[in-house]
Amino acid sequence: MGPMRLLFNQQIMVALCGADCQAVLNQRQVAPWSRFAVAPGDELAIGPARMGLRAYLCVPGGIDVPEVLGSRSTYFRQRVGGLEGRMLRVGDKLGALKKSAQPQPELSVLPPDNVLERGLHALAEQDDIVLRVVRAGEYDDFTSRSQQTFWRDPWRVSAQSNRMGYRLDGAELMRTDPGEMRSCPITPGVIQVPPGGRPIVQLVDGNSAGGYPKIGYVIEADLWRVAQARPGSVFRFVECSVTEARKALSEIVKYLDRLGCLIATADNGGVPARISRETEAGMANDENRYQF
Amino acid sequence: MCAKLVVLDAPRVSHCGASALLLDAEGPLSLQTQQRIWALDRTVRNWQEVTDAQVGLNSLLIVVDPLTTDTEPLAMRFLAEWNGTTAWSGNGRTLEIGIVYGGAAGRHLREVADRLGVSPSRVAELHSAGNYTVFAPGTGPGFGFLFGLDRRLHLPRRPEPQMVPNGPNLSMAGAQTSLGPPLKPGEEPSLVPSGWYALGHAPASPIPFDFSKTPPNVLDLGDCIRFRIERVET
Repeated sequence: MGPMRLLFNQQIMVALCGADCQAVLNQRQVAPWSRFAVAPGDELAIGPARMGLRAYLCVPGGIDVPEVLGSRSTYFRQRVGGLEGRMLRVGDKLGALKKSAQPQPELSVLPPDNVLERGLHALAEQDDIVLRVVRAGEYDDFTSRSQQTFWRDPWRVSAQSNRMGYRLDGAELMRTDPGEMRSCPITPGVIQVPPGGRPIVQLVDGNSAGGYPKIGYVIEADLWRVAQARPGSVFRFVECSVTEARKALSEIVKYLDRLGCLIATADNGGVPARISRETEAGMANDENRYQF
Repeated sequence: MCAKLVVLDAPRVSHCGASALLLDAEGPLSLQTQQRIWALDRTVRNWQEVTDAQVGLNSLLIVVDPLTTDTEPLAMRFLAEWNGTTAWSGNGRTLEIGIVYGGAAGRHLREVADRLGVSPSRVAELHSAGNYTVFAPGTGPGFGFLFGLDRRLHLPRRPEPQMVPNGPNLSMAGAQTSLGPPLKPGEEPSLVPSGWYALGHAPASPIPFDFSKTPPNVLDLGDCIRFRIERVET
C-alpha cells in the first residue's frame, strides 16, 4: 500500500496492520497494529512504510466489492477482482460489508514479529530474515555443494521482486544433471531455481504452474515474512519438517485466536469472552506474552 | 539439440510445504499417462481432506488444510490411488483458431527456424499440422498447456525468462505449446516473464476463460485445438 489519504463518511471501526506506515488520523499519530473508531469527516493519512512493505486496512466484514471465484482480492495481472480489477484511483468510494456496532476504545497489539517463534540460523545477522523451508521434489537433484550453499549462504532480495515472486541474488545453485523439467502445479512459497542458478520464491500472485526445478518451499507460517521483505534485505533458509511447518502455522492461528479473545474481553468491560479450552490453556501458560 | 528431459522411473509424491502434495507420474510425457491423471483428479477432488486440486503435465497437485490434515499419511494414500487409476479420455470436443505466424507477436519465429535449420514457413507448417490436446491448466487463466507438438519443433526453454508482452500470443518450449488469452477491451499489453519462444498470434481468438460465466472455461481437459495458418510474416 503506497502513501494515500482516506476520507470517511460514516462511523466505523477500522484496523490497521502489516507494515508500519506512520498512519495519521486527523493529525494524530495512530500506532501500527491497532484498531480504532473513525467518524464522518475523519481523514486517515497513510505514509510510506517505515518497517515492512505492505500495510492492511481492515473494515467490518471486509470491503464491499463483488466476489470472484470465492475471493474479493484484486489480481492486477488478470485485471480481475477487487474494484474493476484495477488499482485504486483518487475519488474511488469503498464500502464495508458490515455495519460497525458501538464504537470501541482504541487498542493496539504487539506485532506478530515480536510474538511468534521464528526460525533460527547460526550465521544470520541482526536484520536477516530467517525463513523455514521444507525440501521440495527436486531437492535431491541439486549437487551436495549447492544444497550446502542453499542452507548456508545469505540470499539478497533483488529489485525484481513483487507480489508475483521474489528473485534472490547470491551463489548459483546447480543440479547434478540439468535436464528439462515438465511444468507442474506450484503454490505460494515454492523456491524454484532457473538454469541461471538464482532462486525465485513465488508469492500469492505467482503463476499456478512452473517448469523450473523446485529446491524447497518456504513454510506457510513464514510467507508473510517474505511478503514484508524489502528489496535489499537478506534471507536465510533453515530446514524444517512438515510437522514443524504445521505447528508453526497453528501458532499463528493461536496468536490470532488469543488476540480475538483479548479484544472481545476488553470490549466486554473486562469480562472474559468465551474461549476454547485449548486457547485458555495456552493463555494460562504464557499470559504475559500478549499485551496491549 | 533438445536438452535431456527428466524422466522418473517410479511415480513420486513430494511435499509442497505443509498444505499440498504433488504427484509426478513415472515415464516419458504421454497422453495415456495424462488420461490417468485426469481420472485421478476426478477421484481425489471428492476426498474429504482435499480442498483443491490442479492438474499439471503428467502430474497432479492436491491442496489440504494443514491445520486439520497431516500430509504424511495422505501422501501414501495418494500414491496408492494413482497406482490403481485407469484412464479417462475426456469429452472429445475440437476448437479451430486462426494464427498469424511471425510478426511482432512472433518475435522468435526466425530464431526458432534458424536453430532448427528450416524456414519460418516450415516452422508454421509443422506447428499448424498438430492436433493439440488441452492437457492441463496453464500458468494463468487461458487455453491451458497444449500437448501434441511435433518432435521436430522441440527446443529447450530459455535459461533465463525474458519480459514479453501478454495477449493472444502463440508460443512454445520443450514439448509444449501455448496460446495466451486475448486482451480485454481497452487493455494495453503488459510485460510478463517467460522462458518460451513467441511464434505468432491469434487475431480473432475466442475468450478461453470468462470470469463472469459459469463455468468460466470454454474448453475442458481432454478437448482439442487445431491452429490454422492465416499467414506467415517474416
